[in-house]
Amino acid sequence: MAKDFIYLDYAASTPVDPRVAEHMHECRESGYANPSSNHIAGRVSRANIERAAEQLAALLNVDPKTLVWTSGATESDNLGIAGAARFRSHRGKHLVTLLTEHKAVTDVFHMLEKQGFEVTWLKPDEDGRLDPATFASELRDDTQLASVMYVNNETGVTQDIETIGSICRERDVLFHVDAAQAVGKIPIDLQALPVDLLSLTAHKFYGPKGIGALYVADRPGCRVEPILFGGGQQQRIRPGTLPADLIAGLGLAAEIAQSGIETDLGHLGNLRRRLWAGIRDIEGVLVNGDIESGFPGILNVSVSDVEGESLLLELEPICVATGSACNSKSREPSYVLRALGRSDLLAQSAIRFSMGRPTTEDEVEFAARRYREAVTRLRDLAPAVAL
Amino acid sequence: MSDDPYNALVRDHFANTAHAGDLPGGVTADIDEQGIRLRLSATEDEGRIQSLRFRAWGCPHVIAACERFCCQYEGEPGASLSEFRAADIMRDLSVPVEKTGRILVLEDAVRSLGQSFGGGSVP
Repeated sequence: MAKDFIYLDYAASTPVDPRVAEHMHECRESGYANPSSNHIAGRVSRANIERAAEQLAALLNVDPKTLVWTSGATESDNLGIAGAARFRSHRGKHLVTLLTEHKAVTDVFHMLEKQGFEVTWLKPDEDGRLDPATFASELRDDTQLASVMYVNNETGVTQDIETIGSICRERDVLFHVDAAQAVGKIPIDLQALPVDLLSLTAHKFYGPKGIGALYVADRPGCRVEPILFGGGQQQRIRPGTLPADLIAGLGLAAEIAQSGIETDLGHLGNLRRRLWAGIRDIEGVLVNGDIESGFPGILNVSVSDVEGESLLLELEPICVATGSACNSKSREPSYVLRALGRSDLLAQSAIRFSMGRPTTEDEVEFAARRYREAVTRLRDLAPAVAL
Repeated sequence: MSDDPYNALVRDHFANTAHAGDLPGGVTADIDEQGIRLRLSATEDEGRIQSLRFRAWGCPHVIAACERFCCQYEGEPGASLSEFRAADIMRDLSVPVEKTGRILVLEDAVRSLGQSFGGGSVP
């Protein structure tokens, strides 16, 4: 089927790299056996998984044994946060996180609050950045876990993970990072970064949906209690038969990402500059986040005097998001943008453009023209009354 | 697409807003409620609605509803404005129930326009 849309929603999901798809197909053909089986077919499946673990470990610079396979970042976040909080609950029940985290994180903290944990919710500055000094001031003697996302899924804002992690190490607080938007997109060296738990998912970096991983640092006091039960796989941390083909796909996607990460970043930076240059002089347009330091694959903009839902329809056939994909059926203004201090109207008009490896200059220039025309038309349609 | 939030009529009216604009010298009704803003304008000719125009700040269903109203009522007797029903347009446009309030705002604007027909502008 011919493509009849322009896809600028790579932060929601990416297409599977054709090399990854072919590799997964081969693994399905030859490695369909249960990898827990001890016969020769099982060993073939197991070898595919071990190879993938080495590929992902190389991308993150970790020992493959520190990786736990999951169904994706949501499960990784659940396992990393709830599992670590419960494991350390005998030491204390205070947890810290950001208001602008993904729902896969905030909903876990809400659940833990109901189970007797106390959560401090930090507000970022108007650019979406968390001030490390503010973070440090909120830690207490009974704080056991902090969770801060690497790259924000709505705004592309990147947090100072190294400084925040160092503060956690000094205070003996476990540090979880939701890196769903970062892994495979920006260089991450977990030997250098003081991170204890890190969540990722393959479909954000041209791998398949339905597979992710949780990194659990091999250091004293860093463990997670399981949240699923039913088998002895993965040291009982996360039981269940492993999908060897999906894991193999994740592994190759990681290897491909590692070899081209700087090229990808240069490409995305060029695209974002072109997109922003095409719309920046529209009256009332503003960037949500920090265009100077944020991840270059995301440009989130709001505009005054334009209704968001109509803007989204007027932008067709460009596929963009009005908030996180998980929020896209809700017409509530983005809680992330509200936390940055945006009014309901500005938050409701927000459009997230997210570019990827296949995105072309022609596509972003078309998107810029279309955005400009859409804003003009909708303003012309509106009564000339100040909101 | 089966889960398209907009039916074909909404898409057509939203894309082709032939009645967008103002009618200088006509009667008008302005309303700003439920997070939407509307202005309806009309001119009459011997008790009939000669022309209708609208301006709207709102979601696609609201804009499409305004355009549909204008298409349906131009040339009709002015008295027919009192018969406008939000429910009819919601059915035609498959407006989701959670947007009922917005279409009722249009109904209020149409009623105001009807009351002012032959009498001038509604404050």
